[in-house]
Amino acid sequence: MNLPIEILITLVVWGTLVGVDLVSLPQMMIARPLVAGTIAGAILGDIPTGLKLGVVFELLQYDILPVGAVRYPEYGPATVAAVATAHAAPGVLGLGLGALVGLVTGLLGGVTINVLRRVNSRIVHAAALTLESGDPRALVRLHVGGVLRDAFRAAVVTSVGLVLAWLARPLVHVLSDRGAVLLAVAAVATALAAGAAGTLRLVGRGQTLAWFAAGLGAGVVVSIWLR
Amino acid sequence: MAAVKAPPAPPPAALPPPARSLARALLRLFAVQGSYNYERLLGVGVGVAEEPLLRDLADGKYRSAVARGAHFFNAHPYLIGLAVGAAARAEHDGAPPDQIERLREALCGPLGSLGDRLVWAGWLPFLSGLTMAAIALGTGWVAVGTFLVVYNIGHVALRWWALRAGWTYGARVSIALHHPVLQRTTSLLAPAMGFAVGIALPLTASFLSGPFDSWARTALAIVAALSFVALRWRGDRLNGLRLALGISAVALVIGLIWP
Repeated sequence: MNLPIEILITLVVWGTLVGVDLVSLPQMMIARPLVAGTIAGAILGDIPTGLKLGVVFELLQYDILPVGAVRYPEYGPATVAAVATAHAAPGVLGLGLGALVGLVTGLLGGVTINVLRRVNSRIVHAAALTLESGDPRALVRLHVGGVLRDAFRAAVVTSVGLVLAWLARPLVHVLSDRGAVLLAVAAVATALAAGAAGTLRLVGRGQTLAWFAAGLGAGVVVSIWLR
Repeated sequence: MAAVKAPPAPPPAALPPPARSLARALLRLFAVQGSYNYERLLGVGVGVAEEPLLRDLADGKYRSAVARGAHFFNAHPYLIGLAVGAAARAEHDGAPPDQIERLREALCGPLGSLGDRLVWAGWLPFLSGLTMAAIALGTGWVAVGTFLVVYNIGHVALRWWALRAGWTYGARVSIALHHPVLQRTTSLLAPAMGFAVGIALPLTASFLSGPFDSWARTALAIVAALSFVALRWRGDRLNGLRLALGISAVALVIGLIWP
C-alpha cells in the first residue's frame, strides 16, 4: 500500500469520525461497515472494493448486539483499514487480505474501547466530589474530555490499521492464487455464518423466525433467478 | 385489526422550557455516551444533556439537580431523552429528590429494553439487511446513501420525540412508553427485520462469491456451514471475530505453503 499522504490523512480523519460515531457522537451509523467501507472506497477512488468489504464486515457486525456494557470488536475503523489494504491488492486477494487486516484492527479497536472505559471510570471516580457539587462547567469539561479521548483512540486504531495494511504488502507477492482464494473464502464464509447466527439470535423463535425463513427462501429464489 | 387507542392525557403543563433549552438538550443528547465509563455508565452524559433544562431553577435547587442528573444511568441512547425530559420536568414540578432518583432508576430497564428491541434489533438490522440486498442487486453506493438518510430520519425523530415526551409527562413518563405507535412499530419491525436480513443473506453470498471458481464456491458453502454450526453450538465462548481470525489464519498458512 503506497498512498499519497493526503489520502492517508483523509483516511485517518474518516476512521476517526467513524470510531467516534460508534459510541460517543452522534451515533448516526457512519460507524456501520457498509457506510465506513463505501466512503473509504470513495476516498481511494475504489467504491466497489469499499462496498464488498463493507458487506463482509456488516455481516460480522450482526454477531454483536451492543446492549448494556457488553464488550465488542470495533468494525468501523477496521473496515477503513481493510479497504485500504484491498485497494492495493488485485481481485480476490484484496478481499481476503483486506478482511484479515480488518479483523486484526477490529480486535484491537475492541480492546481500546474497553481500556478507554476503564480510564474514564478512574477519571469520573476521581472527580466524584466535584460532580456531587453540581458544578456544570466541571461536568461538561469531564464529558468533553471523554469525547476527545475517544477521538484520540479512534485515530490511533485507524492509524495502526493503516500500518497493518502497509505491513501486509509483501503477502501480495508471496501468496499463490489458490492461497488468495482460500483467504477470501475464509473471510466471506465466516462473515456469512456470523450474519446468519447473529440474526437467528435476534429473531428467536415464533413468528419472526417464520419471516426470517420466508426471507431466506425469497433470497435464494432471487439469487437463482438472477443467474 | 385492533383500533389504535389514544394515549392518556399528559399531566397539566408546567411552563414550557424555552425552545433554545430544548434544542441544547437535544444536541447534547447526541453525545450522551461521550464519557461512557463503568462507574456511572451514561450518568455524566445524562447530566450534561439535562443541564440546559435546569437553568430556570432557583439557585438553591439548580446545583443539586445538576448533580442528581449526573448519577448512574444506563439505557438505550436514543431514548434517554425520555429520562432527561422527565427528570428535568420533575425537578421543575418540585418533586422530592428521592422520588426523582427512583424515577431515574425505574426508567433504566424499560428504556434499555424498548430501545434495544426497537432500534438495535429492529430498525437498524432491518435497514442494514435491505441495504445489503440492494448492494448485492447492483444499486451500489446509492443504497448506502439511502440507508444513512432513512435511518437518521428515524433516529433524530425518536430522540426528539423522547425528549419532548419526557418533558410533557414528567414523573408519569411511563405513559409515553406505552404509546400505541411505539408498541405497534416495535411489533412490526421484528418480522420485517427477519424478512429483510433473510433476503439479504443468500443475495450477499451470491454477490461476494461472484469472482470465485466452482471449487471455491463449494469450499465457501462447507466452511460457512461448519462456521454456522460452531457459532450456534459454542456461541457462549466463540464469536464471529475469533472464528474469522482463526479460520483466516489457517487459510493464510495453507495459502503460503500450498503453491
